[in-house]
This record gives sequence, structure tokens and C-alpha cells, in this order.
Amino acid sequence: MSCSNHNIYQPKVAVLDEIRDEIKDVKTFFWHFENPEHTAAFRAFMPGQFAMVSVFGAGEIAISLPPSPTEDKLFFTTRQVGAVTGAMHALKPGDRFAVRGPYGNGFPMKDYEGRNLIVVAGGIGLIPLRSVIIYALHNRAKFGKIQVFYGSRTPLDLMYTENLKQWQEDKGFECYLTVDKAEGDWKGNVGVVGSLFKKPGVEMPVNNTTVFVCGPPIMFRFVLADLQQMGFKDENTVSTLERYMKCGVGKCGHCCIGVAYVCTDGPVFTLAQIRKLGEVI
Amino acid sequence: MRGRLIHKNDVLKIIDVLRENYRVVAPFEGRDRDSYFDDVTDANRDSVAIHVPNPYYPPKRYVFPHMQKLLRISDGDKPSIEDISREEKTAIFGLRSCDVGGIFHQDRFFLGNAFRDNYYEQLRNNLFIVNMACTDINRDIDDDCFCVCADGGPAAKDNFDLQLLDLHDDSGDFLAVAATPRGEALFAQPFFRPAAAAHLARRKAVLNEARKRFKTATSWYSAATKFITRGEVKDSAWKKVGDRCLECGGCSYVCPACTCFTVTDRPVGNNVFERVRVWDACALSGFTRMAGGHNPRKAVHDRRNRRFFRKLSHFFIQREFTMACVGCGRCVRVCHGDIGMPQVVEILRRETTASSRQEIA
Repeated sequence: MSCSNHNIYQPKVAVLDEIRDEIKDVKTFFWHFENPEHTAAFRAFMPGQFAMVSVFGAGEIAISLPPSPTEDKLFFTTRQVGAVTGAMHALKPGDRFAVRGPYGNGFPMKDYEGRNLIVVAGGIGLIPLRSVIIYALHNRAKFGKIQVFYGSRTPLDLMYTENLKQWQEDKGFECYLTVDKAEGDWKGNVGVVGSLFKKPGVEMPVNNTTVFVCGPPIMFRFVLADLQQMGFKDENTVSTLERYMKCGVGKCGHCCIGVAYVCTDGPVFTLAQIRKLGEVI
Repeated sequence: MRGRLIHKNDVLKIIDVLRENYRVVAPFEGRDRDSYFDDVTDANRDSVAIHVPNPYYPPKRYVFPHMQKLLRISDGDKPSIEDISREEKTAIFGLRSCDVGGIFHQDRFFLGNAFRDNYYEQLRNNLFIVNMACTDINRDIDDDCFCVCADGGPAAKDNFDLQLLDLHDDSGDFLAVAATPRGEALFAQPFFRPAAAAHLARRKAVLNEARKRFKTATSWYSAATKFITRGEVKDSAWKKVGDRCLECGGCSYVCPACTCFTVTDRPVGNNVFERVRVWDACALSGFTRMAGGHNPRKAVHDRRNRRFFRKLSHFFIQREFTMACVGCGRCVRVCHGDIGMPQVVEILRRETTASSRQEIA
């Protein structure tokens, strides 16, 4: 047993630069590490990975990484639901917190080169998938057809509105939006995400395609049923799972599903893998 | 491995030698069959128990403490996060063979896999293990022990520094075996004498006699492992186990092979916090509950399924080299619902074979 001096639980101090409101209870936090070397090392992350974030006195939680490694800025987007996200939402620009990571397997984007990409997101499920979309658009020539289907409860619950606007104007790929309940001057589609698949003019290539699905459990179930009906294979459907996590490095045991530790074996799994884990999701 | 003889009157001298370099912990007897591990001091040195029922509170805490300080976080204008692990050389005297297996399992888990746990490593690298083979059929072994089924006892085969085995003959001698160079270094002490082939034969006979004592508790792991790994266990079997679970988490807290923990920040001063890790148990309903309230493993039988799947599925046995059960019998003693490992293994076997019999008929 050789002694390793590396402390796997040691977070590094980060500085909060800017806070942006996304939707109700959801904010985006732009940040950088106090030590620029740490920022440089952290930037080697892949879409789909996550970080462990400490808010002093509140605790440490796992948060997915919405930025793409091809972007300049680092940020988190969280909904205010628990003790740590609550404390996080009370932070002000200039405040310090701490981050360690990146952790998890991430999406193997290199393996998807040459394939069509379909991104299906519901609500704040867009947070981890935003990274995939930005990454794919940055490397546009390496991928086939790219389609984004994004749904939320109301028009006010649509996230990353600046990106959505850009994406809808972008001719290089297709971006479809829907809301469960129209409000205000919404002129787009009304219905669940799956209703977009059957719209006239929408053609989803079944062959040579990877589908990314992320959203609340109920949306997840219905979208998977739709995809299966359309002929998408389980091994070509990928998602990132969310679990209670305390360590992020495969030790604390909280995130283990069947044979897999979500933090080290995941959080990205194909649907075929999820079905074989040995436990109901 | 080399063997030496040591007289029973000299056995505690090993502690004296170890105490020169280590903090030494050893088992002591409480009232009735109660026993506990404690630090050896000048005052209690003579009451260290040689043949003693294995203490409830597992000695895994000397490598994976019940509550362990990880970091000291100081908030303020210039926040700092400081590693507050302590380095301390500890020797466990009289560790039972099942617990030797337990620590080996912890080694595989904390030092293997994708990340090496530095806090565990620090304590483990500074740990000296003196294993006491369970040979006294009235004191060491009780009706709930089943280490023979787990292939871990009554005498550990490896993963200790020094092993002592009472030869139970008129000479009053113990046979000492070293498994590491630092264990063997102890043989330089004058109270160790050379052993002969006859002593090894006697060792075999003593262990054979001890093995016969294991008759009431049996755990037919292989069938349970097969059913669990193949996913053949019916939900009704887990419901049966779940119905008897009181969700106290006791089984995990006494288990020498359980590794789960939770992490919490506690205030220790003005804007100063300590990050500590504390043992956690998958029996508790909050174990998988996420912020916002969604709990993927809400039903108690799902949580029981989890415990035994983690301990017995072939996937994890392959990964950690051993199943996460060493047959110490603590969960049997602690469980108010009578669903310790052997009982669950039996429920799974009965329910699964009964339902497959129905299918055939």
C-alpha cells in the first residue's frame, strides 16, 4: 500500500462572478477558481460530467455542468430545493464557495461523431443537455442531423432563453419548443415533448442516431415509450441519472443503483445499460 | 509464513512490545457476554481478554471511524479548506478472524476502484493486526457465528500481521504465525520459542474441533448469490424480508463489511466548520432521498433488496474479491426482526425454490 497524498475530498475555493435569473427558483451562477491553475485543470471536463459544490456551512452537493468545454465561462444552474441550493441562491457576486471535480463518465461525444443527434429535454433537464448541444454545434461538421426537442410547463419555465433564441434562428439544426400550458403571447406548440415528434415536417432519423433524454421521471417514461415505438434502439438512447450523492468518487454508497455507482460508472448510461442495472429506476 | 510458540503467560507481553510504537486496542469483557474494544493502558493491561465473545461494535472503526473529521473549513474574507486527518499508529490485539476479513473487504473497497480513499489509507497503513483464532468453543464462538460458511474462520488465512492460536493442551502454549515482515520481526522477542511439526498438527486438530461447533447457524450463500445475480428473487421474498425490517439501520452499524457513509458540515466556531463523515445505513428511508423529496428507493423492501444485493451479487464479489459478509453474526444478534444474513439467505432460498417448483408443476 503506497501512500497517495492526493486528497479526493479536498474542494478548491472558487469565486462567484455573476448570478442570472433563469426561471422561477432557478438561477445560473458564473464562477472561477481563486487559483487560475485550478480553473485550467477543471476545464478538461466533458458534457455530462458533474462537480461537487460546497457552500460553506451548508454542505456539499453534486451539480451537473451546463457549460460546454468549448465555451469560455464556467457556471452552474440550480433550482432552489434543498439546504445547499438554498444557501447557494443566497450568495452574492464576490462570495466564495468551493468546487471539486469534474466527476463522472460524461457523454462519449467522440464516439458519436458521424451520427445524428437528437436531444429531448424537459424542464430543468435541459441543464446537463445544454452542454451537449453547445458542444455539438461548436463541432457542427462532425455530426449529422441535429435536432433539439425541449418542453416546459409554461413559456415562463423555458430555460436559457438567449440560447433558445439563437438556436431557433440557427439554420444548421432544428430546435422545437413546446409548453404544457400556453400563457401570454405564446404562439408555439402546446403539449408534451412527445407531441413534437409527430408534428408535420418533423423527421427523426432512426438509423445512425443517438438520442439524449433528460427530464422529470414522468416525461422520461413517456418519451422512452414514444422512442421505442418509433424504432429507436435502447443502446442508442442515452441519459444522465440523478441520485443523492455525498462523495462523488464511488465511496459513500448513496448513489448506487444495482451494480452501478452513478458517480463513477455514470451519470451517463444508455437505456440498455439502465435496463440491466438490476434495480428499478 | 513462520510459526513460533508463546506461553499463555507471555501473550500479553506482545501488547507491551507493541505499545512502544503503537496505540494498542484490545477486547475487554463487560458484564455477562458483553465485550468491547478499548485502548490498552497501564491500568487495564492485565484485564485484556484472550478468549472473549466478539464485541458488537465492530473494530472496523479503527480504519473507518464511526465519525471522522475530514476538513476544516474557515469562511470569511480569505476562506481556507484544510485537511485535518490525524496520523496515528494503531495496533489491534485480538482481532477475530471474521473482522480480519472485514478489514480486507474495506481495503478492497476504499483503496480499490476508481479513487483511493486517502483518509482510509492513512489509518490502514498505520494499522498492525494481531489476529486471535477462535478456538474456545464456549467463549469465542457462539450460536450466531457462521464464519465457516463465509470461508473466513475460525482462523484467518491471511491479511493479518500476527496470528495467535491457543493450542489448548497442557503446555499452555499458543502458536504464533506471522504473515508480514513486521509481524515476523516480533519473533525476535525472547518470549517466542521455535515450534515443531507436531504443533502444526495440533493446530489443525484444534481448528477441526472448533469448526464442529458451528452447527446452529448456517448460511447457504451460493444459492442466494445465484438467485440474486440472475435476478430470480421474487418481489414477494423481498416483501417478506421488508415486512420484518424495523428500519433501525443496526445491521449496517455493526457490520464489519459495510462501507456507506454520509458527510455533514458542523459548525465548530464563528464561521468555522468541520466536514465530518459518519456511518450511514441503506435501511434508513432518507438514504436515497434527493433534494425536492423524490426518493427512488422509498419502499422498505426495496431498501432491504439493496443491502443483500450489494453484499451478495456476483458483480460485487468479483470487484472486491470477497462478498460483503464475513459471517461474524453481529446482524443476527442485533436484528429485532430476525432478518440477519443467514435468515435472509434462507428466506430467499425458500421463496425462490418454492416459486420455481410451482412453475414446474
